[in-house]
Amino acid sequence: MNPSNLLSVALRFLAKLYPASKRWLHRFHGGVFPQYYKSLSATQPIRKAFIPEKLILPLEQPVGLPAETLVKVGERVKKNQLLAQASKDPQKALIVPVHAPTSGTVMAIQPMTLPHPSGLQDQCIVLQPDGLDEAIVNALEVDGSHPGSPEALKSTLLHAGIVGMGGAGFPTYAKIPNQRGKIHTLLINGAECEPFITCDDLLMQTRAQEIVQGALITAHALGASKIICGIETNKPEAIRAMQEAASNTPVEIRSVETVYPMGGQKQLTLELTGVEMPHKAHAVDLGLLMMNVATYAAIYRAVVHGEPLTSRLVTVSGLGLNKPFNIHALIGTPFSALAELAEPKVTLDYPLVMGGPMMGFQVQNNDVPVIKTTNCILANPPEPVAMQMPCIRCGECMQACPVNLLPQQMYWHTQAHEYDKVEKLNVFDCIECGCCSYVCPSHIPLVQYYRHAKSEIKAMHAEEKATELAKQRHEFKLARIEREKREREARLKAKKEAVKKEALAEESPSAKKPEATAKSAAEAARAAAAKRAAAQKQSQKSDDSNNPPIPPARLKAIEAAKKAAAQKAQQKNEESSASSKVNREPPKSEQDEKKPDAKSAAKAAAMKAAQKRTQAKKQASTESASEVTSAKKDARQRAIEAAKKRAAAKKAELQPMAEMETEQACSDSAFPQQADVKDNTTAATELTETTTSTPASEKETARRAAIKAAKEAVAKRKAASPSKTEQTENTATPKPDEDKRKKAIEAARNRAAQKRNAANESQQGDK
Amino acid sequence: MIEAVLIFLGLALLFGILLGYASVRFKVEGNPMADQIDKVLPQTQCGQCGYPGCRPYAEALANGEAEVNLCIPGGNEVMIEISEITGLEQKPMAEGAAEPKPKEVAFIDEDLCIGCVLCIKECPVDAILGATKQMHTVIEKECTGCEKCVPVCPVDCIEMRPVEVTTKNWKWPEPQTIQEGK
Repeated sequence: MNPSNLLSVALRFLAKLYPASKRWLHRFHGGVFPQYYKSLSATQPIRKAFIPEKLILPLEQPVGLPAETLVKVGERVKKNQLLAQASKDPQKALIVPVHAPTSGTVMAIQPMTLPHPSGLQDQCIVLQPDGLDEAIVNALEVDGSHPGSPEALKSTLLHAGIVGMGGAGFPTYAKIPNQRGKIHTLLINGAECEPFITCDDLLMQTRAQEIVQGALITAHALGASKIICGIETNKPEAIRAMQEAASNTPVEIRSVETVYPMGGQKQLTLELTGVEMPHKAHAVDLGLLMMNVATYAAIYRAVVHGEPLTSRLVTVSGLGLNKPFNIHALIGTPFSALAELAEPKVTLDYPLVMGGPMMGFQVQNNDVPVIKTTNCILANPPEPVAMQMPCIRCGECMQACPVNLLPQQMYWHTQAHEYDKVEKLNVFDCIECGCCSYVCPSHIPLVQYYRHAKSEIKAMHAEEKATELAKQRHEFKLARIEREKREREARLKAKKEAVKKEALAEESPSAKKPEATAKSAAEAARAAAAKRAAAQKQSQKSDDSNNPPIPPARLKAIEAAKKAAAQKAQQKNEESSASSKVNREPPKSEQDEKKPDAKSAAKAAAMKAAQKRTQAKKQASTESASEVTSAKKDARQRAIEAAKKRAAAKKAELQPMAEMETEQACSDSAFPQQADVKDNTTAATELTETTTSTPASEKETARRAAIKAAKEAVAKRKAASPSKTEQTENTATPKPDEDKRKKAIEAARNRAAQKRNAANESQQGDK
Repeated sequence: MIEAVLIFLGLALLFGILLGYASVRFKVEGNPMADQIDKVLPQTQCGQCGYPGCRPYAEALANGEAEVNLCIPGGNEVMIEISEITGLEQKPMAEGAAEPKPKEVAFIDEDLCIGCVLCIKECPVDAILGATKQMHTVIEKECTGCEKCVPVCPVDCIEMRPVEVTTKNWKWPEPQTIQEGK
């Protein structure tokens, strides 16, 4: 007899005097020794398969997002057919596909009560089996070979819809790491420590080979060298069967002490490997991967036979049943149907429990379906609830806690709603095993408090996150508004400046026109946004382009045009100023309109409009001065009409320009301009002709000329700043004497003021 | 005697320089209290406090210009936290504001929406999506439930709806409430 055996025998003897000494036999802290009632169902053979009247298949698993349905109501499906599938990246969203457990017809896709403690409803596929159980063989289309890489295995597991069948239900494909060799030890959880539950026990007895093969497949894919299986000592049959199956394989079968909660992942890992999982660490990071025996069996069936996970072994047990049993239940079988098979002692008017008595929860509706994580359906008649007494701080719970927490402290803080303190006491490491509640002499439902605290803390963190997000978004919005305001102000400033410049430049001598224009353009460009400046320059250049870059062939036409060119330039100037004043669109669209012929078409249209305008103005001028406004309106209407006609020419951007021109002309009551316009029309015709034939390459020369002109203007400005006033002088005024100049300046100022007023008015009118 | 005076003068000078340097080097920009308060506030940006957002209210509190009990979505808890930070006396919340309301988010009846973009302009967190003459909708995840969009809607197509309880955001009830319920 070896020393460890001797020790265990001695301790067992001691346990009669001091029960807690049994805790020294296992490696983790605490634990309890409840009454197991396992023989109720373990002694019965597995009941033969049973197809219920309807199957309810939730689209959502306990973990992750719901899958998307692929079938319609009324559709006939075969066993193993894919019914719902991940629409998003399943790896991120943890979506598990749903397969038909048997052949039948889809009756409905509607919200049904879920086997969840909340009793909430969610979308489920309701299937009416036809009893034929017609199956798609090898639904996953596998060739039976063992996958050599984690990716291959993961893809199969994803399509098979396999989740952790021990209780948590985490999708297995998401649990397995991507890198081969990351897992050095594969662990098989056959402990099954909860009272009443025997499904893993019976699975190991009947399908030991499948479990071992499943483990070997997984180890092969992941490159794990060691496989250890832990089975509690209270399942000797299972241990024997597994040892038999594992002989001549690297799988090591170990019996572990019978203590609750030995089947907890952290506890069994510690027991089997001696590694205690650190706070917040995942077993995978430590090179360990533990899965339930049922999961391994499912992996085997998926990889070798191509069968998706559509049924599982379920224990139907409890003190309220006459014939408890285990059964390969189809996923989706209602609890009540299975419980009825076990012949309840009294009618099932009390809620059934999903899971064991320690960790399970009462379902809100006994018709909820079996899901992939349902290991047990428990029918225990309600017992009188022991009255909850105040905590006496005995510390029993602390002794029993398998994770070394301070249950009592957490209880007090939870009661006081001090959830931050509960979190600091590591409530999230609590596995909700229920040991503390089990030992509590005051019958305090401690685990309920921790569950409540956990959900409160989770909600708190979610809220914090939302708050932070809201703050960010609000700040962003404020910044955006601020930026928009600044931009608007900058634009307005630039516009005003441009208007001012134009007002000055308008009256300048025609000979200096291009310079003045270039100058104002330069000013505006500096102030305005880059885009706008570019647009404006473009328009300016295109104006200038009419003058310098003329091929010899067109010289004659140019000669003829030259006389009118000055006025034309002036007119153009007005146009551009008007457009920049009122609407930013025209220059932009002018820029857009790169093609010369488009340009010419636009000019032709403008010309027509100008003619109409002239008529309108003539009418207006015949009318009395008091009727100027009405005339203006009339003119504008005509202009609009003209613009509508021009719609065919599709140069809509010229419309506001034309309007503006009209307005300006009227407000200035400029009689000479009428003549100008007439001249303009002829000039424009000629110019149009020139531009039409002007190839694109000439545009470049035109631009260069414009730049040159602008440079000259700048140089002139620098040379003689008083010449600024000169420029403001009227066309009619030649280079004058001192007093003449003064007069002219006075006149120009008046005009400028007038002009500004007019511009303001028109702007307001537009607004 | 003279040595002592010199030593003390020297020390005074030294510490003076040190303090002067420290005040420049470790200068705190803005009011740190405003940041602290801003962190406590629920960031709904609802403006029910009379300030245009949470941050302005926090700043007003930090400058001692505002009462501690103005944050209605925050309720009593936030009021207590604010009074702890500012050191001001706690004050009871205004009537009807004390009991916390379950979180609600705006919902736009898309059949009624005329696409006026008024609510989009009003939303402090840009949680409404839409364009002129296009149907609008609320990004539920981003909505803070400030209710600012409700009054501006010209066709009254916005209403506040409680956030739907799913298995993902369901909370385990507190055990005591279970007992009282029975």
